[in-house]
Amino acid sequence: MGFFRDEEHLYRCLGGLFEKVRRDPAIGPKLAAAGLVIRFLYEEPDGQITIDVKNPPDSSDTFFTTFYGKSDLEPDVLMTMKADIGHRFWLGKINLVAALTRRQIVAKGPIPKILKLLPAIQPTYAMYPEILKELGEDKILL
Amino acid sequence: MEFPDFFQFHLPTRIVFGKGLSADFSAELAELKVTRAFLVTEKFLHTLGIPERVMTALQAAGVAVAGCFDEVVPNSEVALCERGAELARKAGADCVVAVGGGSSIDTAKAIALLLSEGGRLLDYQGAQTLTRPLKPMVAIPTTAGTGSEVTMVAVINDPESESKISLVDRFLTPALAVLDPELTLTLPKRITAATGMDALTHAVEAYVDIESSPFSDALAAQAIRLVSKLLLAAVTEGGDVEVRSGMQIASTLAGVAFNHSMVGVVHGMAHALGGMCHVVHGEANAMMLPFGMEYNLDARERKFAEVARFMGIDTRGLSERDAALAGIDHVRQLNQKLHELAGLPTALSQVGVPRDKLASVAGLAMTDGSMFYNPREVVEDEVLGMLERAH
Repeated sequence: MGFFRDEEHLYRCLGGLFEKVRRDPAIGPKLAAAGLVIRFLYEEPDGQITIDVKNPPDSSDTFFTTFYGKSDLEPDVLMTMKADIGHRFWLGKINLVAALTRRQIVAKGPIPKILKLLPAIQPTYAMYPEILKELGEDKILL
Repeated sequence: MEFPDFFQFHLPTRIVFGKGLSADFSAELAELKVTRAFLVTEKFLHTLGIPERVMTALQAAGVAVAGCFDEVVPNSEVALCERGAELARKAGADCVVAVGGGSSIDTAKAIALLLSEGGRLLDYQGAQTLTRPLKPMVAIPTTAGTGSEVTMVAVINDPESESKISLVDRFLTPALAVLDPELTLTLPKRITAATGMDALTHAVEAYVDIESSPFSDALAAQAIRLVSKLLLAAVTEGGDVEVRSGMQIASTLAGVAFNHSMVGVVHGMAHALGGMCHVVHGEANAMMLPFGMEYNLDARERKFAEVARFMGIDTRGLSERDAALAGIDHVRQLNQKLHELAGLPTALSQVGVPRDKLASVAGLAMTDGSMFYNPREVVEDEVLGMLERAH
């Protein structure tokens, strides 16, 4: 059994993080500067989250737009991984370079632009456990 | 002593070395079980008879030459690779043979990919996107510097996006690398100097990067020793096959090293100088290497002191910092000697880089994937400072 029960559970937990990040004045603008559409394609359970930092955000209090489930947007970067790897990544427990090397994460698109985002998302590794606690999801903390 | 949390070492390339080997590598070809080879090379190599020598070897081994694509130029573009793949497909090729420098080998990787998988090259931009082996590829380097004969990376120019695209996949690694030092005997002095400094830069950056491991360290160290011992002789005594052998081996050792630990800020700047100002890659690396070493000195003092020892510097009695500084000074002296012996440029102004373009070069360098592997966080202002000092 993985960390997430089903697709809905995946969106609740990871979505909780993305919703906070897209409103965060310290991280949001740094990600928005990348000008990319990034899709995370998860397996076990299957699901997809698309982050659109290329087009204007859907509301004035956010820096970018997120989509949960299938989206018609064409991604610039497609990151495919098991949902458990995604969970561990946002907890800061996965070295992206090693994960790419080991094919735990498959990245399609301009890799330098993906790697360049890493310093910007560093603070999210501390945010995600707090969000999980707020959501009452402590049991999937590592 | 500290070891990394994770590393892997994987070398799918069979490396064979021998003087004159490019004229007969039939035993290795037989194991690949291929019948129709598609050659990827550069036009000017015909004047040296090198593609012809390889084609004769292929035919003698019972492998038909399905085609010879000799349109490779420095910094090959997407369209060229796609055209080459189309020709290879029409010719019914079942393997790709690269004969030339880094650009030929990278182009051949892209052709092998498209020949095997179809589609457009941009579909494969990324890391480890392939799921199965490609049609086999043989790499026969004619320079000693690129290391591409043993790496999983191909860098191809994309004029549409005005950038270089990176294809990183272990299935892109050639199945066979034929190292024949005789092919480098006629390399002009300046190209010998530039490619040799490229190999040295690969080795030094591989040794200090964040992804370095005990395995890549061992290979990088030996590459540094060989280049430091032999590069000047390769320039002054280019016809000496023993010297050329050492440089060829050093280049491949450095290639295996940086295929695992990657490169850093020096390559980031060199790629940008190549992309925006057409500075020859090895020359850009040579000019920027001492500045990059200084930039990373605080983050890797002990390792740079070791680099100095690998270079043959007597560091007895010196502190680690002074030993490291002696290594950096040694690189500057080497550049100066190569300038005097081979005309290697020692300043960006000598290769036509306009001072008013340096800020744009620094900006482009910051988007280079190499920067991520640098042992110290790379800051744009400091990159600009290094470029200004190198101007």
